[in-house]
Parts: sequence; structure tokens; C-alpha cells
Amino acid sequence: MANDRLRALEDTEKEIASVLQCAGNIVLELSKDKPNASFLDRQLVQFQSSVNRVENELSSQIRYLTQVATGQPHEGSTYSARKDCQMALNRAEYAKVKLGELGRTCEVMLEQQQQQQQQQT
Amino acid sequence: MTTQRVLSQSKETLLQNYNKRLKDDIKSILDNLTEIVKTAKIEDETQVSRATQAEQDHYEMHVRAANIVRAGESLMKLVSDLKQFLILNDFPSVNEAINLQNQQLRSLQEECDKKLTSLRDEIAVDLYELEEEYYSSSQWDSTDLPLCEAYRRQDSWASPDSSCSSTQGDREDMDGPPSQETNPQHHLNGHGTASIEKP
Repeated sequence: MANDRLRALEDTEKEIASVLQCAGNIVLELSKDKPNASFLDRQLVQFQSSVNRVENELSSQIRYLTQVATGQPHEGSTYSARKDCQMALNRAEYAKVKLGELGRTCEVMLEQQQQQQQQQT
Repeated sequence: MTTQRVLSQSKETLLQNYNKRLKDDIKSILDNLTEIVKTAKIEDETQVSRATQAEQDHYEMHVRAANIVRAGESLMKLVSDLKQFLILNDFPSVNEAINLQNQQLRSLQEECDKKLTSLRDEIAVDLYELEEEYYSSSQWDSTDLPLCEAYRRQDSWASPDSSCSSTQGDREDMDGPPSQETNPQHHLNGHGTASIEKP
């Protein structure tokens, strides 16, 4: 049930990690005697696109928050519905216990009857 | 320390702070990587000897790489702060989440109660037969008040029940033919309601 925005922020975190990964690969490649130019180009393009994506995503989130946020705390809760549900489950449990007792009582009666019949025959 | 700052600032300054952090960190990452790539270029010998220049370049790259990592870490912290702010202050999504949860809980409760009601209706018939059997057998202690009698008294305190007399007539009949069971069944259904809703 996670929010879409929260999921987008999770993806942004992964994107930041890939930015750092690309930067590290570029530096590593430059440290070699014969750096592979095409590899460097690919990494650079990926680095730039990732940085752009991160910046766009985060600034759009901040823009949304400027429109939506107030300073007030939210005072909603699900307590009443949760309590009602809990009481319904308690009712069901109680009915189950009572039926169990009833069943046991019937069985005891039947056993006594059978014993009496056996004694008579 | 961060919490106190959040409480004392208004939301505009907080969001401006987020914007500033974002721009600074992105700028830092880009600039530092650019400088590293520039420094990686091999040049001819300049004022100092090659070894010194190499040592200086090595140290500079080290520091710039550390700067990139620090800026990345700061971006992660910013994302975490944004998530926290979103959870606390994004009212549309908080309202939606609360409504969804309420809906789910209420539907579960209704289903539970519906099933309990149908169970009560099913058992009422069997329970009547069991009571008949028990109170007409030798097991019954005659000083005990029969359950039907107890419920009838409670009912008559609540409202004068016209079916009292007819139920009493049925109870004296041991066989209990099906046609006479419909009258006391209404009675029992009313009792059933009282017994389940009491706890």
C-alpha cells in the first residue's frame, strides 16, 4: 500500500547510487594505461542522464510539497474502525468457544446414554 | 538539533533549504568529477618536478573523490528528509491511506457479523430441539429455571409478549411437530439476538 511518491523517492535513492557508481567507473577507467574511449563515453552519458533524472525528480517532489504542505499536524486516525473490527472478531471467538462447550456437553450426554444402555443389556 | 530546527522554521524556509541542498549537492558532484577528469590529463613538466606534481595531483583527486562521495551521502539524507516530510505533511495521500484502511476494516467487520448472524439463525432451530430434549429428560434438575422461562421473563419485563402462552402450550407437547416449531422459533431468534450481543 506504499504511496507512489514514496516509491518514486526509493527509485531516486537507487539512481543516486548509480550516479556514484558511474563516477567511480570513470575514474577507474582513467587510471588505466590504455583507457577504453567508448566505455568512457558510455559511462559519461549514463552519469549525465542519471544526474539529470535525480535533479528533476527531487525538484518536482519539492515543488509538489510547496503546494500541498501546511504547518498543521494531521489528526486523522483509523482507531474507531479498528476497534469495531476487533470487537467483531472477539464476538466470533466467543461464539466459537460457546459452540465448543455445547458440542462437548452433547458428547458427554451421548456417552452417558450409551453406558446406560450397555448396563441394561 | 535537526528536529528543533524543523519545529522553529516555517515550511517555506524548510522547503527553500531543501532546494538549496539539492542544488549544492548536484553542483558539487558535477564540478568535482569535471576537475578530476581535467587533472587526469598528462601535461609536460611545469614549475615543479614530475614527482611533486604527481603527488599533488594524487592528493587533489583523493580530496575531490571524497567530496563527490560526501555530496552523494548528503543527497541520500535529503531524500530521507523528503520522505519523512511527505509522510507527515502530504495530506491528500495520508487521507487516502486512512480511508482505505477504514474501508478494509469496516468490510471485515461487516462480513464477520453477517456470518455470525447466519450462524445464529441456523443454530436457533437445533438449540430449541436440544432444550426440549434436555428439559423433558431425567437429567434436568427441577429446581433449575429453564432457559426458555428465563428469557420469557426478561422479554415480558421489556414488552408484553403475546406468544408467551402459545410457547407454553408447545412446551408441554413432548413430540414437538414441525408446524408448532415456527412460533417458538421467532421467540428463540429474539433470544438469540440477546444472547450474542450480550458479551
